[in-house]
Amino acid sequence: MSFINYSSREINVKIVYYGPGLCGKTTNLQFIYRRTNPDQKGKLISLATETERTLFFDFLPLALGEIKGFKIRFHLYTVPGQVFYAASRKLILKGVDGIVFVADSQLERMESNMESIDDLRINLAEQGYELDKLPFTIQYNKRDLPSIVPVEDMDRVLNPRNVQWFEGVAVTGKGVFETLKSVARQVLFELKKHY
Amino acid sequence: MVVICPKCKTKLKVDEGKISAGGSRFKCPKCSTILLVKKPAPVTEKVFHHEKILIAHSNTSVINTLTGLLEKHGYQTIIASDGIEAMVKAIRELPFLVITEVGLPKIFGFEVCKRLKLRPETKGIKFILVSSPYDVNRYKRYPESLYEADDFIEEHRIPELLVDSINTLKGRAPEKEEIKKAAEKKKTAPQESVAEKPAQKPEPRVTLAAQPPTPTADETIERARRLARTIVSDIYLYNTPKAEAAIRNNRFHTDFAAELKEGLKLYENRISPEVRAQGDFFQETIKTFIENKKKSL
Repeated sequence: MSFINYSSREINVKIVYYGPGLCGKTTNLQFIYRRTNPDQKGKLISLATETERTLFFDFLPLALGEIKGFKIRFHLYTVPGQVFYAASRKLILKGVDGIVFVADSQLERMESNMESIDDLRINLAEQGYELDKLPFTIQYNKRDLPSIVPVEDMDRVLNPRNVQWFEGVAVTGKGVFETLKSVARQVLFELKKHY
Repeated sequence: MVVICPKCKTKLKVDEGKISAGGSRFKCPKCSTILLVKKPAPVTEKVFHHEKILIAHSNTSVINTLTGLLEKHGYQTIIASDGIEAMVKAIRELPFLVITEVGLPKIFGFEVCKRLKLRPETKGIKFILVSSPYDVNRYKRYPESLYEADDFIEEHRIPELLVDSINTLKGRAPEKEEIKKAAEKKKTAPQESVAEKPAQKPEPRVTLAAQPPTPTADETIERARRLARTIVSDIYLYNTPKAEAAIRNNRFHTDFAAELKEGLKLYENRISPEVRAQGDFFQETIKTFIENKKKSL
């Protein structure tokens, strides 16, 4: 649910990075923040309590062009990954335009990935969204670690809709911008349908 | 017992006491279809082959290592290279033990384990999960605490640990394993086995108890367990040093009271009262997690 700022002639869209605890959502966002032109971005804001944290920043990628004379401003959010902060996650999903699911490739986190994607579906449904109708990209993160599950197997379990996915090593930046570009492209496509 | 009407798919509860030997007719209250309901056949106790071990792995060199080692110790091995083959062979051949790669192609090894443990005829099969070596990092956790397997071995430690692990499992295994032990004893002291045998015969089961639970019930319970496992493992993951100290000092419930309360709130919100009424899967899972963790600390 993008909103339009007429005075600055900007369309604001919201992309949420979702995934199980410690899967690399924050690392993705921090990498994007570091590599974005300082003139185009806002502050990196951390909404942190003692145990949970949400990261947020907005930026205006010039390369994306305009839609009917309006620039596109992206607002990127992460959710607290720890499973029982479902209420915070639900709140952050409000008004979402696109979702990146960051999956942890480690074998012992497979169950948490499955739980998190179910949680995403439930939280979206409770707000009247359907995951299958939203711009959605998956990143299989931590591909540099041993004891990881083959991508094909992860895809079978986590990606029945067969959306675009990328392998990622968020600490080095591998796959980070590819993932963002993929979801941004889908969001723009949706915007163009509506404006 | 629960019967599903073939016409309208309504689930009907039928009092098993009212079903006669040849089956009884019931009318579906929703679509009025007449159903012939028969008592479910009792699930016969399966006897596992105590010399047979199923090896499920996608890497032939690991298979070769395992077969070499096991055959040297007198075991007969069956090989499966993916999850589907492992399921089929385990059900058909009934080995007493399955050694499986965790990330097995087609169906994950841990899923094979979970699925076979849910089937009444294969739930007695023991499982050892084999994983590639862990890196020393803070995510280190033992898969048997997650996937209900009986043991877990890292690939590079197979030669030194596997045989001990099998022996431990045999010592731990109930009834059926004892039959084998009894058979071994028979060789040395035949008079003992005569006395032992009748006691080891499985008790005849009540039909209702032997009836396999409906798959939907299994799935919902498994979902409840999975959520509980994710909750407790997240608590552990985010607070590893504190959690380990708490587990060592038997203070997990006290030290993580707030987190467990949050977790329980989510659990109660997500898991339907009908499923929760079937058992306290939340506390049960936390208890298992703590017990398993204690062993590895």
